[in-house]
Amino acid sequence: MPRFVIALAVALVGLVLFGHGALIHAKAVVAQVLLDRAFSQTIATGQPIKPWSWADTVPVARIEVKRLGISTIALAGSSGQALAFGAGHVEGTAEPGETGIAVYSAHRDTHFRFLKDARIGDEIDIIRRDGKTFRYRADAALVVRFDESGIDPATDRAELVLSTCWPFDALTQGPERYVLHATLIGDR
Amino acid sequence: MSDTIDYDIRSSRHPVRSWIVTMLLFLLLQAAAVALVGFTALFLSITPGWSAEGPLAPLTKPGDARSGALLFKSDAGYVEAPRLGIDVDIVVSGPTARARVTQLFKNTSSQWLEAVYVYPLPPDSAVDTLKMIVGDRIVVGDIKPRQEAKVIYEQAKRDGKTAALTEQERPNIFTNSLANIGPGETVLVQIEYQQPVAQVAGEFSLRVPLVVAPRYNPKPIVQSVDLRPDSNGWGAASNDPVPDRDRISPEVLDPAKNDPVNPTRITVRLQAGFALGEVKSHHHQVTIDSPDARTRVVTLAEGVVPADRDFELTWKPASEKMPSVGLFHEQVGDADYLLAFVTPPAVAATTQRPQPRDVIFVIDNSGSMGGTSIRQAKASLLYALGRLQPGDRFNVIRFDDTMTVLFPSSVPADAEHVGSATSFVSSLDARGGTEMVPAMRAALTDDGSDSDRVRQVVFLTDGAIGNEQQLFETITAMRGRSRIFMVGIGSAPNTYLMSRAAELGRGAFTHIGSVEQVEERMRDLFAKLENPVVTGLTATFSEASADLTPAVLPDVYRNEPLVLAAKIDRLAGSLQLKGRIGDQPWTITLPLSSAAEGKGLSKLWARRKIGDAEVARTMRQMTPEEADGAILKLALEHQLVTRLTSLVAVDKTPRRPDGEPLKLAELPINLPAGWDFEKVFGERGRMPAMQKDRRAEGDSDVQLAALKRPVVPAGPATITLPKTATDAELSMLLGLGVLMLELIWLVAIRRRAAN
Repeated sequence: MPRFVIALAVALVGLVLFGHGALIHAKAVVAQVLLDRAFSQTIATGQPIKPWSWADTVPVARIEVKRLGISTIALAGSSGQALAFGAGHVEGTAEPGETGIAVYSAHRDTHFRFLKDARIGDEIDIIRRDGKTFRYRADAALVVRFDESGIDPATDRAELVLSTCWPFDALTQGPERYVLHATLIGDR
Repeated sequence: MSDTIDYDIRSSRHPVRSWIVTMLLFLLLQAAAVALVGFTALFLSITPGWSAEGPLAPLTKPGDARSGALLFKSDAGYVEAPRLGIDVDIVVSGPTARARVTQLFKNTSSQWLEAVYVYPLPPDSAVDTLKMIVGDRIVVGDIKPRQEAKVIYEQAKRDGKTAALTEQERPNIFTNSLANIGPGETVLVQIEYQQPVAQVAGEFSLRVPLVVAPRYNPKPIVQSVDLRPDSNGWGAASNDPVPDRDRISPEVLDPAKNDPVNPTRITVRLQAGFALGEVKSHHHQVTIDSPDARTRVVTLAEGVVPADRDFELTWKPASEKMPSVGLFHEQVGDADYLLAFVTPPAVAATTQRPQPRDVIFVIDNSGSMGGTSIRQAKASLLYALGRLQPGDRFNVIRFDDTMTVLFPSSVPADAEHVGSATSFVSSLDARGGTEMVPAMRAALTDDGSDSDRVRQVVFLTDGAIGNEQQLFETITAMRGRSRIFMVGIGSAPNTYLMSRAAELGRGAFTHIGSVEQVEERMRDLFAKLENPVVTGLTATFSEASADLTPAVLPDVYRNEPLVLAAKIDRLAGSLQLKGRIGDQPWTITLPLSSAAEGKGLSKLWARRKIGDAEVARTMRQMTPEEADGAILKLALEHQLVTRLTSLVAVDKTPRRPDGEPLKLAELPINLPAGWDFEKVFGERGRMPAMQKDRRAEGDSDVQLAALKRPVVPAGPATITLPKTATDAELSMLLGLGVLMLELIWLVAIRRRAAN
């Protein structure tokens, strides 16, 4: 049965490869369900709630784009582990609603895939963990290198940046990032 | 279930069919696994992702976006995070003025702020008081050595305490830093200074500078080497002519794009001590009240004005004759401080044969002179050329960051030469940088011929440079027999540079703040140039032992008083001044017992002593260490802010909660009135952002240094964006590809087997 063994091995390789990719998406989707629940509890209790007991990060905001029907939970920090489960609030950037630039990053093929469809003028709602909602309006989109983002944290307005990898349909990692910039227009 | 399958396979009597069953089952398992692992994901998350014709990204042209240089803040106007209001309250009592400057910092943002404001004061001002008013608490500042004060301030800043620090950057440029202003809060910082009243050309005057004009700071190209006599030939090369360039260059708002900032209210209570005649404000509309003959209250007619030009007030006595002598004293402890004004008698010019002169005119046509300044400068120089006498010789030098010397050497002031100089001056246009040192060097280069002639340098500039010290050193080294007369041009000239350069150059200085003043002020200056000076002055106290400043009495020009300050051990006997007016000896004796009470004279004496020490340091008469020691001692004793001492006030209660960030806001200033923004800063809209974000952490010192205002930032602080691509799609495509290949392979094998 050598032929059978070879066939089995090749099939296994294919399976593992496909499963690995599919798992990334599955994690992204399943984690969002848990994150959503934890975030709702966070808002209700005012305490940071871990989405699962061994998680090393907590949900900090919900990003909604009504026009695209998008609702995704952002986590504290933008480490690779955090980004597997949701968008990440980049360390050291402003809290939403405050003066400065709040920067969120997420994978182009999962949580921030919608950026491809986002347009200038789209309204982006950020629900903070204290339950406050801030509405931003997208006013600029650009492609930059990851280390030359041109995002100057020193601004005296409340601004928002959603960033993901560019180009959207590329298969490999690249240095370019797509940046959607928005400015606060209101809160409630 | 697998047991059953195994059983089925083993029990099969047809190997080929059993193999097919095996493969089918395997594929089934594979499908099940894929379904289990990726089902949800495939359907919920990435279904649209597989479409090759998804909507395009919201970029009009990706090429545009790729340039990467788009600025987020291109349309962001200047939002004043902290607002500043200034109130100047001055009381003039006889020979001195006491000014109280209140700066109101209002934090309109929702964050904790540190505000830094760079502002000018008169160069002879003695700053001795700092008060900070937070809520209902008044904190009075202490004088400390500069480094020590800085440490106290930084510590308070880290501890979340509200603190204020007043530092001297130049004798006429000061910085107030105010840490931990709460969101929505207003904090008042009040400084007080003492200033002598100026007396020149038959009137008294008071000048309140309100804005630091943007300075040209030469680039550190040429190294200057300081070789000290005791250094055995080893010295250090200092690279930067303006080492503190970032401390004297606050942001300047383009008046075409921004409303004026820093509203200022000015009140002057004038108690001259004699019946007042004309009282005049030269650059501001004012309302003048007269409660009695000797008192005037001057307020701005418009209430508040933007801080964009100097406030200048002059007054004359009601009687025709100016008082020619003034003598005032103040007792502090067991010492008496004396201030004396003596105006030598004007000797009629006809009795003197005018000495033939060489006059070198130097005109600054750099970019900072753009606008009204260059018109004033040209008008002044043209007036001066018209005043040249037939026996005189002259030359004209113009400079920006280049220089033109009109004639190879001084030429007779005949019609032909004056005519060509006039057309040369008329064609001048303001542009470029301000390299003042080479121009001064050229003006002072004396071929040494005809040493019987008087050599005079008339220097017209706004003094908008940061390397004053280099200029002073040039004058000291090269002045020779030349005398330097400075003409300060524009709405906010650098008075410190004018007065110190004239002092070192043994000349005089005047200010021209508007075209209307050109004729009057230039006439006065020419009266000084043309008329004899009182020379060889000495002062003797008959009984008291005195510490006199200036230590070496300068020559006195026509219409100018000699101003003396002295610390004496007892108020008895007399002060005798001796000198020569032209060829005639001149003596005057002042009885000390009849001196009137004055205010703040001890501070003025100390300030002048400090000025003398700085001059001695420049002239290498004192070593830097000696001079610094003397300055520090005087400053601490008399509570004065100097180059080496600062005032610091700290509120005792910590207020900013731990972990709340502190944002640094360097307050912008106005462009001085009449300046042309583009001539100074080039293309519009290239000014850096005003605010820098900063966390209040332990290492904030280092961060502050790094964030200090560069004139043009090398590049904005930027955020590194995280990696946001996964290999999910790549893996899945590869996996699918492998599976497809296997399927094809299996199908091929199956066909071959079936055949």
